[in-house]
Amino acid sequence: MKEYIYMPEVRRVFRCTVPDENIRQVFLVDGVLQEEETEKNGIILKRGPEEKGLYMRVQGDHFGETIQIISVRSEDLPGPLEFTNKWELEPGAGIQIIVCDHTLNEHLYQTSRFSKIILGEDACLDILFMQNENIRSHYRLDLIANLDKGSQLDCHVLSFYGGIINNKLHAVMNHPEAVCRMDGLFLADGEQDIKYDISVDHNAPECYSRQLFKGILDNHSRGSFNGAIKVAPGAQKTEAYQANHNLLLTNDAKITTKPQLEIYADDVKCSHGASIGRMDEMGLFYLRSRGISLAEAKMLQQMAFVEDVLAGIRTESIRERLEKMVESRLRGEFKKCSNCTMHCC
Amino acid sequence: MLRIKDLCVSIGEKEILRGINLEIKPGETHAIMGPNGSGKSTLASVLAGRETFTVTGGSATFMGKDLFAMTPEERARLGFFLGFQYPVEIPGLTIVNFMKAAINEQRKYKNLPALSSGEFLKMMREKMAVVEMDPSFVGRGVNVGFSGGEKKRNEIFQMAMLEPMLAILDETDSGLDVDALRVVAQGVNKLKTKENAFVVITHYQRLLNYIIPDIVHVLYKGQIIKTAGKNLALEVENKGYDHFINKK
Ligand SMILES: Nc1ncnc2c1ncn2[C@@H]1O[C@H](COP(=O)(O)OP(=O)(O)O)[C@@H](O)[C@H]1O
Ligand SMILES: [Mg+2]
Repeated sequence: MKEYIYMPEVRRVFRCTVPDENIRQVFLVDGVLQEEETEKNGIILKRGPEEKGLYMRVQGDHFGETIQIISVRSEDLPGPLEFTNKWELEPGAGIQIIVCDHTLNEHLYQTSRFSKIILGEDACLDILFMQNENIRSHYRLDLIANLDKGSQLDCHVLSFYGGIINNKLHAVMNHPEAVCRMDGLFLADGEQDIKYDISVDHNAPECYSRQLFKGILDNHSRGSFNGAIKVAPGAQKTEAYQANHNLLLTNDAKITTKPQLEIYADDVKCSHGASIGRMDEMGLFYLRSRGISLAEAKMLQQMAFVEDVLAGIRTESIRERLEKMVESRLRGEFKKCSNCTMHCC
Repeated sequence: MLRIKDLCVSIGEKEILRGINLEIKPGETHAIMGPNGSGKSTLASVLAGRETFTVTGGSATFMGKDLFAMTPEERARLGFFLGFQYPVEIPGLTIVNFMKAAINEQRKYKNLPALSSGEFLKMMREKMAVVEMDPSFVGRGVNVGFSGGEKKRNEIFQMAMLEPMLAILDETDSGLDVDALRVVAQGVNKLKTKENAFVVITHYQRLLNYIIPDIVHVLYKGQIIKTAGKNLALEVENKGYDHFINKK
């Protein structure tokens, strides 16, 4: 698929140039923002309703900063938790957000986050979710994004650890010329159960959306992917693409995948596809015939499988760190924060 | 270096190799010819360790070790190399990452430290030059979207990187134009020493104008029906396989 270049020049060169150590970090502990209401560099941060969740507003013309939102569950609040985030970019604003969700121990935490994203006209949001709790936790993300005219959302969701992970991602384009890319990667082993529900509403003409989700499932893990693209009457010149590809490493791992398209306009380009595959025996033999061990060959094949999802992460330093994390996750070395390369805790 | 005795190989119920005897010594170049389906690729794959085939009889030693007791990667680390008739595409894996993994595993096996990025890239550049491969290939997916000729060059490039003791090249010349053929042959000749050995599997005499074999074998229905000097290749070219088959 050819790369869609729609945004004006300034959007295309949008990159995080902030050195890693200068990334602004914001902490939420058990859903509570750990700082006072602030307004810094055109970004307003405060607590949401009932003192929980994060409300963020990025003022227009503000461009290029990276904020890392580190959200942890702790022993102070072992019970189920729900909170609501609202992140709003004013017209013309641009920001990169990295969300890292962790648990501080192996307790069976249950956490539901409702996150509302509002992108003003020509606003540009690059957002990455790192879902890295523990092998027992119940993780739920319910995200709805509203894209105004000419705005651009780039969303990456990486599901690494969590007993049950439920991701519901919903993008709504009620105005023309919006661009919405949502990609994801889920790596499951043991008894993990990871579910994605994606819906994309094209309610206005000339919008572009694409989703690329890939899963690798080991042991007895379960996965499910439900995708729905709706193109409303009148949403002409829509381009919408959806793909979900999965690699099963064992006979016991299971995945169900259901990409769906509902189209009520006639001048559109849409496609969807899904696949479920296993390791390529011939590929493994080829690698081994060059002296690469079986374990390493499997590793290379898995990394090759997820390569295009990672390649979509535009900030090079972050992409490189994530490649390392994916690799150590696949090697099973990655159960503790100390092995994480996001430098947050 | 390689000694094969009475080798019998099947796939499922089907017997493909029916008693192969072959000895390859350091410094030698062998050619194996034979009609399609005679078992040439099967022989090469079995020696490299492909598990879809079952060895039902016979034995093989390589560098003094029991070949069939080793995994494919162990054979490779000992210096065995197979140039695939149909090189495998691996989307998402770049040639540079592929070769880095291969070279590092080989060095680990030889108790050598891993190469620095600089040293490694220098080595890549040198070896790519041997097969006149465009340096832009390093960042491309392994064999993905390569033409037939580019795939074969890539095989020879990998051989140049790994510097094997014994390389079996399975129809590396098929589908190559004259220029590509010359490049592939030059690559082989540059790598040739008194210590290593080559086996070229081919249908055509033309490759053997560039790579002069010491010994030529004709394989037919899973058996070597004739072994002789380099002129045998010419004889095959002129008279066809039938000539030998009928004689037998
Ligand atoms: N994977 C396979 N399954 C079944 N038969 C095979 C397989 N691979 C090769 N064969 C059979 O083995 C015989 C020898 O094949 P091959 O070794 O490829 O011959 P050559 O390389 O000399 O053309 C052929 O009859 C072919 O059909
Ligand atoms: Mg063949």
